[in-house]
Parts: sequence; structure tokens; C-alpha cells
Amino acid sequence: MAMTPSRARGLLLTPAGLWYAALLLLPLAVVLIFSFGERSPIGGYAPGFTFAQYANLPARFAAFRNTLTLAPIGTLAALLIAYPLAYFLAVKVTPKWKTLLLVLVIVPFWTSILIRSYAWIFLLGGKGIPALLAHLGLEDIRLLNTPFAVLVGIVYGYLPLMVFPIYVALEKLDKRLLEASADLGTPPWRSFLQITLPLSMPGVLTGCMLVFILLMGEFLIPAILGGGKVFFVGNALVDLFLQSRNWAFGSAVAVALVVVMLVVVALYSRAVKRFGATRDDTGLM
Amino acid sequence: MRLYALAVYAFLYLPICIIALFSFSEGRSAASMQGFTFDWYLRALKNPFVMEALWTSVRVAFLSAFMATVVGTMAALALTGMHGRVRKMFDLLVQIAVMIPGIVIGIATLIALVTVFDLVNPWFEPATGWKLSLGTGSLIGAHGMFTMSLVVLLVRGRMETLDHALIEASSDLGATPFGTFRQVTLPQILPAVLAGFLLAFTFSFDDFIIAFFVAGAETTLPIYVFSSIRRGVTPEINAIGTMVMVASLTILIFAQVLLRRTQAQPRR
Amino acid sequence: MKDDNKPISRKAFMQELRSYRNGSITRRHFMGVTGLGTAMAVMGGTMPAFLPSRARAQEIGDRVVLATWPNYHDPANFDKFAEMTGAYSQVNVFGSNEEMLAKIQAGGSGWDVFVPTNYAIPTYVDADLIEPLDLSKIPNYDAAAFDPRFAEAGTINGTVYAVPKNWGTTGIAFNSDKTGGVVDSWKTFFDGARDQFDGRVMVHDYQLTTIGNALVYHGFSFNSVDPAELAQAEKLLIDVKPHLYAISSDYQPAMRNGDAWLTMCWTGDGKQMHTDIPEIGFALGKEGGEIWSDYYAIPKDAPHKEAAYALINFLLDPEVNKAEALAHGYPVADSRTNAMLPEELLNDPILYPAAEELDALEFGAAVTLTDPNRAELMARFKSA
Repeated sequence: MAMTPSRARGLLLTPAGLWYAALLLLPLAVVLIFSFGERSPIGGYAPGFTFAQYANLPARFAAFRNTLTLAPIGTLAALLIAYPLAYFLAVKVTPKWKTLLLVLVIVPFWTSILIRSYAWIFLLGGKGIPALLAHLGLEDIRLLNTPFAVLVGIVYGYLPLMVFPIYVALEKLDKRLLEASADLGTPPWRSFLQITLPLSMPGVLTGCMLVFILLMGEFLIPAILGGGKVFFVGNALVDLFLQSRNWAFGSAVAVALVVVMLVVVALYSRAVKRFGATRDDTGLM
Repeated sequence: MRLYALAVYAFLYLPICIIALFSFSEGRSAASMQGFTFDWYLRALKNPFVMEALWTSVRVAFLSAFMATVVGTMAALALTGMHGRVRKMFDLLVQIAVMIPGIVIGIATLIALVTVFDLVNPWFEPATGWKLSLGTGSLIGAHGMFTMSLVVLLVRGRMETLDHALIEASSDLGATPFGTFRQVTLPQILPAVLAGFLLAFTFSFDDFIIAFFVAGAETTLPIYVFSSIRRGVTPEINAIGTMVMVASLTILIFAQVLLRRTQAQPRR
Repeated sequence: MKDDNKPISRKAFMQELRSYRNGSITRRHFMGVTGLGTAMAVMGGTMPAFLPSRARAQEIGDRVVLATWPNYHDPANFDKFAEMTGAYSQVNVFGSNEEMLAKIQAGGSGWDVFVPTNYAIPTYVDADLIEPLDLSKIPNYDAAAFDPRFAEAGTINGTVYAVPKNWGTTGIAFNSDKTGGVVDSWKTFFDGARDQFDGRVMVHDYQLTTIGNALVYHGFSFNSVDPAELAQAEKLLIDVKPHLYAISSDYQPAMRNGDAWLTMCWTGDGKQMHTDIPEIGFALGKEGGEIWSDYYAIPKDAPHKEAAYALINFLLDPEVNKAEALAHGYPVADSRTNAMLPEELLNDPILYPAAEELDALEFGAAVTLTDPNRAELMARFKSA
């Protein structure tokens, strides 16, 4: 295609350009405009120019705080659980089993997160795991509708997204390196720290980025497992649009969420560059 | 290590097994097991709203994935090897589309479309007899906008690793640009295009949060499930979930086989 | 359509058939003018099984979408309606009037029938979102049979926009095994939530009742929009929040499995739970609270209006309404239905508290639905 004249390029790009203009740029522009407007008396949007909505942002401080604590914790927890599994799949499993085990990791991801999350209502509710714990003498443990329940849901929901990039990175690892290292008498844990871990870093960073981005906008898992008590920014947004009908303030919260996200992602990319990691495989960063 | 893997798999599958198990319960409560029956499956299959929600989901997922794949592939072809302002702008658009949370996309699309429709309908409706409103169209548009970006990323990634000597050779030999595309480029990028389509289809089929805002009067399967969960769950929902799971699994396996064939044929 | 019984010439029949085929007339018109409709109706009359429900479904379509509240109907009635008319009911459940209003305001809710509460109706009328009802299509609605106290909010400036479904109260459901007895005051409710019932109390995801009862706790009106009073209610709610089990209007599952001990509760939910689990009781807050009446109404842009009328009419049939009342456990304002209900239900203290207990209660006021401060207070409380 290197020879394609620019006219042809233009034609090929036009549909995508129009699509982005109508359903990405226009909506974002509307949100930006509405965020300076007012709430109409019966709800919805009334034109105006005011910074009042932004001034009111501290009223959602708790939602931002929850999101900015639970999203990193959730990402970290998913990483800690996913890494050993990815390592196991990439290094320890025989090729015969590999495909099957990999498919088994994706399958849950292919089923509605809605249904999967709601199964945890039984498991974490009074008749589920707490009842089992009571048998062990741990009375009166409450799990459902707590931040812990939301974390379980997060890790459960996003685990496959974390396993895969790490697996791909570890898979590329030249096993002869490890063998050579072992021949030289290096203890396995040392080889792991000096060879495996650094080489798998791109996968780790990609996985963390993917999960973190999704968690910043999470709504469903806190809504199902948080009992209306564990609020993410996403839940605050849904509330503003579908309950209190304050489109102007809702728009301001949405703008704030996007800004916070961009800042965090920028900081993250910078930190990644400083650690000398190369471009990741998905082209996300 | 093996034990650990086993534990993680148990963690992944325990909830799914519970859903499948309770779908056979005779009682109305979805939270306990009483007896054994297939009734809930029959009920779900006979329930026109379930079937219609499923049909809406399939239709939206197919159309949005198809359009996203075509448009995204076109854009990826154009972007490969391109430099300058337009390329930078498109890269930025793709990144924004992928990064912005679904919930923001959903809300933004909702308020933008409602506002535009309110402006346009007063003269559009009398002129054409059509009233613009949220529905299948807005669903396809919003889903496709996001998944098109995934397709661009996938196909562009593939294009960059492509053997450009082949393409040049083809045009040197007098092939038309379209002929070159069909005979040289397309076979090489096909796995990425197919993967993009599947990814787009799955995303759209599973998406709740964007659909929640832009579906208007339409009900997709995830929206149906969400409102049923609120209504107090009966095992019917478990039965629907189990069926969707089995169906997804079938498609996944089918797609794997298909992908492997297309990958295996052109080379080796 | 026209005169169904007039014979039709062969030529005219073919012409009609052609236009039916190419879609310029509806099937219903075709059946009407050709007399096929009559034939089918006769066959259907003599051999009911012979007539597929589809044939009748032509008149109202095959579906109707209902937006209502949790645990609010007898599911068997919808099956019966589908059997009779061929129209299946899709039931969407909401937790607050605000949520319903938001969905309608955002355009294209797709609902045919919805169930607003008394205080919400004026807002729908002001915003032109609700259809004036054609009562000739709801013959089962007999205004004289209804207690005006629970029917009058449906009529605004002489126009009927909504017909009464049932009424009820918002009180407290408690699991007496765990709470050690009756809980009948908002003081015990909110104080206990922070003390002996820590982690076991639920409030509605609904500004009217959650803020309203917090106001009542302080001795203010349930409907107050006074900023100073609201500030005190907010302080109470935010103080209580960490101790709550959940903020949700669908509290039955948690109460039934014992996770929650105490919840804000609507009459019928209290009755339903008490019937199945005797230790769960229901009481009104003695400081006050809400009395309300729910209505059936049709949104302006309802896609299946004929089906909407048919469903409302069906649900107001005293026989059907009796089954509804037995299932949902709310008091009905229709004297015809009440005449069929068992004596013990009409004497049930959950449904019909003593008159002096009702005196302390207030109907919701329209202003609470649109007051921006109450809406924002609720949102702040939830995101705190």
C-alpha cells in the first residue's frame, strides 16, 4: 500500500473519520459544554455558563477517593494472582495441555460479567462463605456489600485480562537463558528475579494498564456487590443521570473523571519509561 | 504450582458452576437448590422478551462488528506507512476512543443524541415521517465507534509486520492496487481482521454499560438480565446465563478452529 | 373497521387481498372488510382451542411493557393476560420515582404502562410526558368504587391522567428474632443502626423515603425542603451510612436470608415477608412517615397504547385485582375488589393500621420530586 496516492488514503479514512466525529468528538464536546451549564428545574440540562458544577466537585470526593484506592488495589491483587498462573502456563505446562488451559482462562471472560458477578451475591451472602466460616468458629463475618466484596468481584472479573499479556511476555522468554543460569549455579529464585521478572515486565505493565483503565470507569461490580455503599465515580455518574437527573453536574463529574484518568495514565507511562521498559504489545501506550 | 493453578481455576469456575447448578432448581428462589427440572430453560426459550433481547443483541453485535471491521480495516490500511498531521490526529482519536471509560462514552452519547434529536426532529419528522430516537441505530453507532478502534489497532499492528517487498513486487508486476490488496495484503492480514471482528462482536454482545444509556426503548440481553436481577432473581436468569455461556463457548471453539485454518493455509 | 358483516364481491376480495399482500392495508383491515375476521371469530367462539391467540393479538399487538416496582404483581396474572390477548408483558422494575422520571425524560423509555406514585403525577403532567386517559377504554375503572383519598391524585384540572392501583405506607420491617421485639420508631431505627443493629439495617435507594424518614426522626415534616432541616437529615444519614447493610429498594432477599434485620419497608413487602417468615414483622414509625397511593398511567410516547389500555383494564378487573392484592399484600382502594377479599386480610393490621396511626403519616408532596437539594442530598449520601 506504500504506493497508494493520498486521494485513496483520504477515501479509506473518511468513514472512520466521520464515525469518530459524530460519536466520539461530538458527544465529548457536548459533555464539555453541558458541564458549564445548569440543571433545569425538573431535571435535565438548562443552558448557561457557570463554573458552579466544577465548584461542586468536592461533593463527589469520596467517590473519586474510593475509585483511586480500589482501582490500584484491585489491579495489584489481580496481578499477584495472575502472575503465578501465567508463569505456570508459559513455563511449566506441557504443550499438550497448554491450549486447553489457556482457553479455560478466556471462557469466563466470554460470559457476561453481569451474570458472573451476580453469582458472587450467593457466595458472599450470609448463606454462602460466611456460613462456612461460621462452622470454623468465625462467627458474624460480613462480606457482601463491603469493599472486600467489590475487590473479589474486580479480581474475578478482570483476571483473564491480566493473565494474557503476562503469559504472552513469558512465552517469548528464551528458556535457554534460565538453563544457562541454572548451569552457572544461580539459585532459581535469583534467576527469576534477574531474568524472568524483568523480561516479563512489558506484559505486566500492559495487563496493569488494561485493568486499571477499565476499573477507573467501573460501575457494574460495585453496583452488584457493593449494595449501594461502595461507590465508584461510575456509580456516582449513573446516579446523577438516572436518579437526580442533573446532567450539568454529571457532565462535570465525567470531565473530571477523564482528566484524572489522563493524568494517572500519563504519570504511569512516564514511570514506565523511566524504568526503561519498551513499547508494549497492544499499542495502547 | 499445580495446586495453585487448580485453586485459581476453581476460583474462576465456582461461580459459573453455581449459576449452572441453580438453573435446574425447581423452586422459584435462585439462591437455593430444590429438586431438578429443565422448566426454567423452557420458560426462558418461550419468553418472547428473552428471545427478542437475544435477537437484538445478536443483531446489534453482528452489524456493529461488521461495520467496525470494514471501516477499521480501511482506516488501518490507510494509516500504515502514513506520516504527518492526519496520522497523528487519527492515532490520537484511536487512543481516546480506547481509553475513555465506557460509562463516559455511554453518557456522552446519550446526552449528545438526545440533544441533537430534540433539535432535528421538529423539522425532520414532518418532512420524512420518521422520528429520530435512541435504539438499535445508536447502539450500533456507539459500539462500533469503540470496536472500530480495536480493529484499527489489531490490523495496523499486523500491517506493520507485513512483508512490504511482496506488495511492491506485486505492483511492479503490474497488479492493480485492488488486485494487490486482494491477492497479497488481505490474505496476510486476514487473521487480524477476523480476530478484530470476533473481539468487536463479543464486546458488543456483552456490553452493558454503554447499552444501558443509549439503548432507548430497545432491550439487549445484558439489559434484560440486569433488570431481572433487580426484580428478584428466579432460576430463569440462571438458565439464560448458562445458555449464553454454552453458546459463547461454542462460538469460541468454532472461531479457534476457523482462525487456525486461515492461519495455517497461506503459509507452510 | 367499517361493517364486518357485509358480503364482499370476488373482485373486491381479490383487490383487497392484493393490497394486503403488498402491505398497503393492515391485516386487521383486510380481515375486517373481507369477512374473514368474522369467520375466524365465529370459529374461535365455538372452538376456543381452534383460534390461535395470535388472531386476537392483532388487535393490541403481541406485547406490552410495564414499568413498575419490585414484588408488585401476581406473575400468574401476566400469564393469564397473555393467554387472553396474546400480548406478553415485559415487567421492568424500578426503585424510585426519580429513576422512572429520568428514564422517561431521556426519551424513548419504550414503556406502555408505568406506575407513578401520587406525588409524581403533577410533574409528569407539567412536563407533558403522560397521556390523558381515555376512560372508555378502561371500562373496569369505576370511579365510584374507589376511595377518593387514594384516587384523587390521578386527576389534575379535571383530566384523568392515572387510575389507582393500590395504596400503602412506608414503615419498618424487622426480624424480631434478631431485634428482640417490635421496632416501631424511626428513632430506634436510626439509632439502633449505629448501635445494636450495626451492619444489619437497610434504607431505600429513594430520596423521598430515605430523606423523608430521616427528617421525621428529627421531628420535621416528611416533605420538608427547608435547607436547614435537610442539612440535619443529611448529617444523620451520613453518620449512619457506614453502619448500614445496604442502600437498596429491593430489600426482600437480604431480609429473607437473614443478612439484614431491619429495613425501611413498604406495606406489601412487609406483608409478603411476614406471611412466609412469621418472625419478620412490620410496623409504622410512630413519629410519622409516608402514606401513598400508586397509579397506572400511560407515557405520551408509549409504543403500544392499545395494549396499554387493555393491560390496565385487565388489572383493574376486580377478580384479577383480587389475585394481585393476595400476591402483593397492599391495601386496595377498590370496594368491589375488597368485597371479594378474605376477612382476615381486610382486618390485617399490617395492611390496615389503626386510623390514629395513619393520622401521623403524610402523602408525598410534588415539590420533593423536583427539589434539586433533595436530589443532590441523596446523591451525596450515596457517594459519601
